[in-house]
Amino acid sequence: MSMEREEMSFDLEMPSVGVIKGVLAKDIEVVGEKVVNLRTCARPYRNIYSVAQLRTIKNVIERYGSGKVHLSPRHNLEIPEVRQKDLDRALKELYIAGLFPGGAGTSVRNIFTCPHWCPKAVRPVQELGMMVSANFADRDMPNKVTVSFAGCSNACSRPQNTDIGVIAVGRVGTGSSGCPDGCTECIEACPFGAIERAGRGVRINDKCIYCLRCVDACTDGMLTVEETGFRVLIGGKEGSTVRFGAEYAVFAGDFEVLEIIERALSSYLKKAEFRPGSAKKKERLGEVVERLGLEEFMKAPPA
Amino acid sequence: MTEKNGDRAGVVQGRLKDRVVLRIRAFEPYSSEFTSEQIGVIADIAEKYGSGVVHVTPRQTVEIPDIERSTLSEIENLLDGHGLVPGSTGRYLRNVIACSRWCLYNAVPVSDLAARLNNLHAGRILPGKTDISLSGCDFSCVRSRTSDIGVIARAEIELTDKECKKCSLCVKAPLGCQVDAISLSEGELAIDADKCVRCGFCSNVCRPGTIRVKSTSFDIYAGGRGGMRPREAVFHKNVGSEEALIEEIGAMLQRYAEYGREGDRMADIIEKEGTGFLEG
Repeated sequence: MSMEREEMSFDLEMPSVGVIKGVLAKDIEVVGEKVVNLRTCARPYRNIYSVAQLRTIKNVIERYGSGKVHLSPRHNLEIPEVRQKDLDRALKELYIAGLFPGGAGTSVRNIFTCPHWCPKAVRPVQELGMMVSANFADRDMPNKVTVSFAGCSNACSRPQNTDIGVIAVGRVGTGSSGCPDGCTECIEACPFGAIERAGRGVRINDKCIYCLRCVDACTDGMLTVEETGFRVLIGGKEGSTVRFGAEYAVFAGDFEVLEIIERALSSYLKKAEFRPGSAKKKERLGEVVERLGLEEFMKAPPA
Repeated sequence: MTEKNGDRAGVVQGRLKDRVVLRIRAFEPYSSEFTSEQIGVIADIAEKYGSGVVHVTPRQTVEIPDIERSTLSEIENLLDGHGLVPGSTGRYLRNVIACSRWCLYNAVPVSDLAARLNNLHAGRILPGKTDISLSGCDFSCVRSRTSDIGVIARAEIELTDKECKKCSLCVKAPLGCQVDAISLSEGELAIDADKCVRCGFCSNVCRPGTIRVKSTSFDIYAGGRGGMRPREAVFHKNVGSEEALIEEIGAMLQRYAEYGREGDRMADIIEKEGTGFLEG
């Protein structure tokens, strides 16, 4: 019976976010019992779930849920229809496997990065995502804040439509020796028409967004990657209205990115106001940026 | 199993030369949810053939990395019979995604619709990659407004002659109106039609039944895109029923397949020429 005592001493603090009021699906007849949806995130590494974590989720949804799990678009696994009376036990099992409720409400939502095994990545973003996750995830904010990282300009994680988006980019260097006659590989590969013929070589004009597609297409090693860094977009959103983030920095280094994110979040905390005509909802980060202008918004807030 | 350019659907080249990533989508009994049985199968595969981890993608599929190409047929056999299939890659219709059916804000739960659309069309070869996203309300968590075809469910509300008890539940957060469209000034219930996003949420909390859902419908948006050149979708059409929605999406895909040149996404065509070609 010592097992039981040990279990009793394992005290849980009820999480403030991640336990969402839910409804029962129409096809299940359970009346008079409160149910919640649990939105869980894997920690420490938040875009990946281990086999052990999957098995824990399997057990939890079989025992306490409805045998189903919903995949949310921000790497969360949502466990629906957990009875209020089972909540403590379900949370305990999840905690032990390194799964935590979170990614809901007016807080910094689950950090979103692309997977580390993608061969297209210009620069790895997972470590950065993990650092941001450790420092800022689930921190209280005036409204929800989403932070996304993309390892290349294909932007699978949609950093343009998030409050703070980070995209790895690279600057193209044009070699000095001549291109082979009639080769147009890079010009065709460029989605933006940013490459022009210039004498025996090519020239990159100001339409370039540093996606490096041309370097992949170049078969002669004429085009090279000169430097890599991160483009930081601020103030995007998606949902009932769509807004694309404005570029704040390009070719920022890892620590610069962390610094920008910290500054943006602290500015947002200090400068957010209630939405016009509303006494209950505060502005999203993008709305504050729109009201103040990006430069003014990013200025260090008064101490 | 559809094969194209020597590559199977659902197989993505990994960072290591000899390893691939397998992307798995569910088609039965749901497409936006995985059952415990399916989770178990995926865990077993990741343990035996992969490196013990999986990645959850934003389009409600699961990726298993570090798989050897030679074991793919074995894995397909394991997936067989569990409602799982490799897919959602390449120039096909990608996995149709939907928001959670347990969400309080749903005007209409759309998960089953997504599963139906998946069974009808997923894996279909089209001129370009095509995303379909179904949202149960205006907040569009699954990004309907930046998908090639986005659907947002709407609930038209009306005021009945049942007496309002002035409880103001429909006005106040968190259960009340999310967009401040309802006011209860001087004891008179008023709904601002300009602000209302037709989610029907207020009718759930109204106990006397003063606010009632009159009818539900679906708004279809077309021509959105994420990625390198993001673009917001434009409103295409409002349809009244689930059957009409399924039919209209089928027709849209058919016209796109006939009209689009290879490599054109639906968003590319709409960007250049507008939605005219979808009218038929």
